[in-house]
Amino acid sequence: MIDNKTFIIAGLLISLLIGMVAVFLASGDPDGLESTALVVSGQKELTGLSPEEGDPEVIGTGSYTYESPMPDYSLGEEMGSTGGIIAIVVGTIITMLIVMGASYAIRLSKNSQ
Amino acid sequence: MHIPDAFIPLPQAAVYWIIALVFLALAIRWARSELNEDKIPLIAVLAAGIFALQSFNLPVSMGTSGHLVGGALAAIVLGSPFAAVFILTLVLIIQGFIFGDGGITVMGANILNMGVIGGFVGYYTFQGLLKVVKNPYLSSAVAAWLACLIPALACAVEMSIAGTFPLVPGLVAMGIYHAIIGVIEGVVTAVIIYVLAMARPDLVDTSVGVASV
Repeated sequence: MIDNKTFIIAGLLISLLIGMVAVFLASGDPDGLESTALVVSGQKELTGLSPEEGDPEVIGTGSYTYESPMPDYSLGEEMGSTGGIIAIVVGTIITMLIVMGASYAIRLSKNSQ
Repeated sequence: MHIPDAFIPLPQAAVYWIIALVFLALAIRWARSELNEDKIPLIAVLAAGIFALQSFNLPVSMGTSGHLVGGALAAIVLGSPFAAVFILTLVLIIQGFIFGDGGITVMGANILNMGVIGGFVGYYTFQGLLKVVKNPYLSSAVAAWLACLIPALACAVEMSIAGTFPLVPGLVAMGIYHAIIGVIEGVVTAVIIYVLAMARPDLVDTSVGVASV
């Protein structure tokens, strides 16, 4: 048994480690859904390699799009892995804080009734 | 299996949002009755871990990759499918708004697939199997495998309703990819549940804690 504080710190460290390893080891091939999009649009075979220039999102071009601060978990090409690590670290910590904040908020709203 | 905005027409995306919001409301009700000072660290750490695992695109050969979903993990550890809805919704909101992973108009569909379907399939497969095989780790591994496969198939069906993918090739491709990714999800889920049951047996759901006694 470890106490809550140690548990949070250990859990956050393990999460950050997984995220940072992901920056270097994660596959560059598209995710299952995008890969399926390439298959159905005839750009790739079901079991074949992904084409370098294949663009699965071409399927729905012209509809709604938006800009996000850190698209594709990076800070742009020029920042490379460093940008990737910053994006993942920020994302992991933000996730933990937001979920913790939301949980406390829900708990407080219950207690105040 | 994060659906980008362009893949589903807006009226259909709105329907998935409405379904997702109903489950989110139920998830918040679950959180109000279940969350206590001890469970908040667990839920926060699980969310951070699920965010990290989802950023790790594992190569599965065949020119594709997949990341873990974590719906079964959240539901089994916290003992409710609504835990998965609660955690996955927040993770998906952060991924969509900050990282452009999964669209905003289609976020309802992503919440439905990974949070709701993943959470319910994961939780009830685990509970059902546990009664039969009596082994929480085997049960959680199989549950996590199904909780990766079924949402992927649901996603393929949604794509076909949207007219983005034809039904059969979509089901075949999504099914094959996620049947393989699901094996990794199953193993990792069982390992994480084992570690959590060892570290904090008081926090995990009692049906998981059986094995650590």
